[in-house]
Amino acid sequence: MDKISALMDGELDERQARQELVRLRQQRELRESWDTFHLIGDALRGDALLSANLKRRVSERLAQEPIVMAPRRRAARKIVTYALSAAASISAVALVGWVAISTSTVSTQPEIARAPAPAAILPAPAPQMASVPSEGSMNEYLLAHQGFSPSTAIQGVAPYIRSVSVSQPAKNR
Amino acid sequence: MKAVWPVVLLGLSAAHFALADSGDAREGLTWLRKMASASNQINYSGTFVYQHRGLSETSRIVHYANPAGGVFEKLETLDGPAREVIRSNDQVTCYLPSSKTVIIEQRNARLLPALMPERLTGITENYAVKTGPRDRVAGHECQVVTLEPKDSLRYGRHFCVEVRSGLPLRVRTFGEKNETVESFAFTQLMVGGSFNRDKVKSKYAARSQKWRVDRSALNVSERPADSGWVINNQPAGFKKLMEVRRMVSGRADSVAQIVFSDGIAAVSVFIESMPKERQGQTLTHQGAVSIYTRSVADHMVTVLGEAPAATVMQIANSLELRTNAAAKQ
Repeated sequence: MDKISALMDGELDERQARQELVRLRQQRELRESWDTFHLIGDALRGDALLSANLKRRVSERLAQEPIVMAPRRRAARKIVTYALSAAASISAVALVGWVAISTSTVSTQPEIARAPAPAAILPAPAPQMASVPSEGSMNEYLLAHQGFSPSTAIQGVAPYIRSVSVSQPAKNR
Repeated sequence: MKAVWPVVLLGLSAAHFALADSGDAREGLTWLRKMASASNQINYSGTFVYQHRGLSETSRIVHYANPAGGVFEKLETLDGPAREVIRSNDQVTCYLPSSKTVIIEQRNARLLPALMPERLTGITENYAVKTGPRDRVAGHECQVVTLEPKDSLRYGRHFCVEVRSGLPLRVRTFGEKNETVESFAFTQLMVGGSFNRDKVKSKYAARSQKWRVDRSALNVSERPADSGWVINNQPAGFKKLMEVRRMVSGRADSVAQIVFSDGIAAVSVFIESMPKERQGQTLTHQGAVSIYTRSVADHMVTVLGEAPAATVMQIANSLELRTNAAAKQ
């Protein structure tokens, strides 16, 4: 765990870093904790887009690393792995909590519960869903809707900013 | 349209006769009406800040309206990647230079009279209209008018309406706990000025000739149609405004669109045949707009509007193909 955060902070020398990358590739749990660390870092910096790229870059880098045919590590290593995976889970929980707070307007208990919807009409019990920021895949529909909204009639073209908002990743456009 | 007003006001004063704030509501509605007609009558240009869920973006807007009913607008983002939205009457063109894309959206104005916000009849049924103090935004005096929702199916609105022109200088959309879902506020504004075509032209107009132009929404204008779909559990206060079959940018086939409104918020239902890549249900938001997709009877349904997630989900979840009418493709 220490080594992973050291690696992330660029504090390992080349040899140690290489070892750590090999280890990362071999152990899923470690990779998860690596990802989680980065997600937390990104979230703290308020950079939601970075993580996806970084994850990909790390994966690519890992794929390029030569495969080391080493015998399986002994039991002592396993304990560390378990500890790490537990730590990773805890970090993931912390992250989820953090994201929930940072997007506090997104209710984790969607308003669905309060909607006076007769259950008989609903085809299935409405799932508990948390809304996530749109990635812009619905912008054509947003654009098609905008012209019919009274808010557009009141505010003019200003609400169209939603359809072209930067919250969408550039790749979608 | 204007003839509706005396009736509305009469209805209002009767309904609110016993309430202490009846005068308040009437005054608030007068401000709303002034605001609704302002954008068709006034030229203005300014800078506004759009905030949603912790993010903020600054944009420049230029707006011209002529007595013949023509409206020309330009919206230009000042932060982040450059983007421009040009509106020329009923045609809206988005220029996205970072991806070299132009998206053109056209509305059929003839279908619109029912959508004009002068028709505020639904507003007092669904919102408590209140006037607040005078305030100042971007150096202009404005009147605070608040629409407090009467249930959790809709968001509240806070307007600060410029006293002379009726322009909304600040619009805040808020949720049940009074949390801000989204807000627009001018930081600089000039009211008046004469029409100047160059100011509502895109600076990408020439360059974009080589860009990818998505004009599929132009090929077939929308036409009234019975989609064959019904909403069994329409959220209280929302009325169906129109039902059309139309083209949408990025979709090869025509799509059914049904629009509901409570007088302030609008929710659109889009129904298309199931795409090859079948998607599960998703719930997202863009500013105050909630977007929910699900599949119903081999169709992909997208419901979106400036309303809480529960409202768009209620509409989507109660959508059904009428048994005696097959959906016309």
